[in-house]
Amino acid sequence: MTDSSIGEPSAAPDNKPGKVDGRRLRSERTRRLIVEAYMELVREHRQVPTAVQIAQRAGYSVRSIFERFPDLHALRVAATDHAIAEGRTQGALSNLDADRATRVRSHVETRGRGCERWLPLWRVVSTGLSESSELRERIRLVRQLVSMRVEFMFRPELSTLSDSDKRKTLLALEAITDYESWGRMRELHGLSFEEACATWIRVVDSLLPPTPAASS
Amino acid sequence: MGIAAKSARIDGRRQRSERTRQTIVEAYLALLRESPHIPTAAQIAERAGYSIRSIFERFPDLHALRVAATDHAFAIGNTLAVPRDVDADRSTRLRSQVETRAHTCERWLPLWRALNANQGDSIELKMRIRLGREMIMKRLELMYQPELSSLSDVDRKRTLITLEALTDFESWGRMRELYGLSFEQACALWIRVIDRLLPPTPRH
Repeated sequence: MTDSSIGEPSAAPDNKPGKVDGRRLRSERTRRLIVEAYMELVREHRQVPTAVQIAQRAGYSVRSIFERFPDLHALRVAATDHAIAEGRTQGALSNLDADRATRVRSHVETRGRGCERWLPLWRVVSTGLSESSELRERIRLVRQLVSMRVEFMFRPELSTLSDSDKRKTLLALEAITDYESWGRMRELHGLSFEEACATWIRVVDSLLPPTPAASS
Repeated sequence: MGIAAKSARIDGRRQRSERTRQTIVEAYLALLRESPHIPTAAQIAERAGYSIRSIFERFPDLHALRVAATDHAFAIGNTLAVPRDVDADRSTRLRSQVETRAHTCERWLPLWRALNANQGDSIELKMRIRLGREMIMKRLELMYQPELSSLSDVDRKRTLITLEALTDFESWGRMRELYGLSFEQACALWIRVIDRLLPPTPRH
């Protein structure tokens, strides 16, 4: 089916929604494949890919990309949104009611896996911050999500602190468990995934106040 | 003309050329502090008061200028951030280290960002970033030597890695820009957290 259907008489009006839906689904699928190709390339090459590389990887023409995204910046924003959505699914809260040690381990391992998966995209997004309020907004959102996660996971411990101390603890935890902090442990200091997790587990545990008796 | 006069002329010319180079580097750094965008050759030339040609007579390209600016920043940073209070009590060392680091972050964060954003495939810039981090680690080791000496090698390494992550340029930037903390509040936060992360000071 082509866009020539626009000029066709309405011979079968009841077929139209199905046709339009099919077209929309295909277009959505193409868009998703382009975004996924972009992310794969970022992971492999650790830099912003070109339109030609993305088209080649996705199996479409360069024109197809620019029919769906006005420019590569819009594609980078779409990839970031896709990553945020996926990250939220993969980083779903678990072991919320477990003991302190289990919660610390669970949180750190989830965060470690998230950093492992998204660090290359995070870096690509971070390099475009000065030019894009959209990317800045998304970075801010991700940081808020990370902080909210910490708040949920360690609610019993954080609830014993004053507002000011809670904020300070959250800021410190956010700084220490940042994407780049993970990247340095793995790339600069040569720590394995487990060693890096062990480092974070120790720090998170030492920064949190004692667990109140009812929750321990 | 005698040899002495000739050599004085050459020295004068070399000094002028050095001064021009220095002014160009300073113009580049001043522009970076004012705006997060990487300055163009035209902007640098205008700020320095020279022609674009003068820039490219001294630097083969803007990348070379970026590397020179980084070296200049490291040299100034080292001069301004001399270790103080190394033998003082724990709380004095904490305050001294944090305030020195905070001043460094406050002054050099824009350059650090430009350096990271533009390192690309540049081995020279990557090397300087690594050097910058090593210097931070060494400073931490020096300032908290009594406390760190009580730890095993593994725990000392973990503590240093954590302290480096905590006192990273971007961590400072977020406290100041994203969370709106004043210089003093941000220092107080770092002092509190470092104090918590360090083991007790051994008694001598």
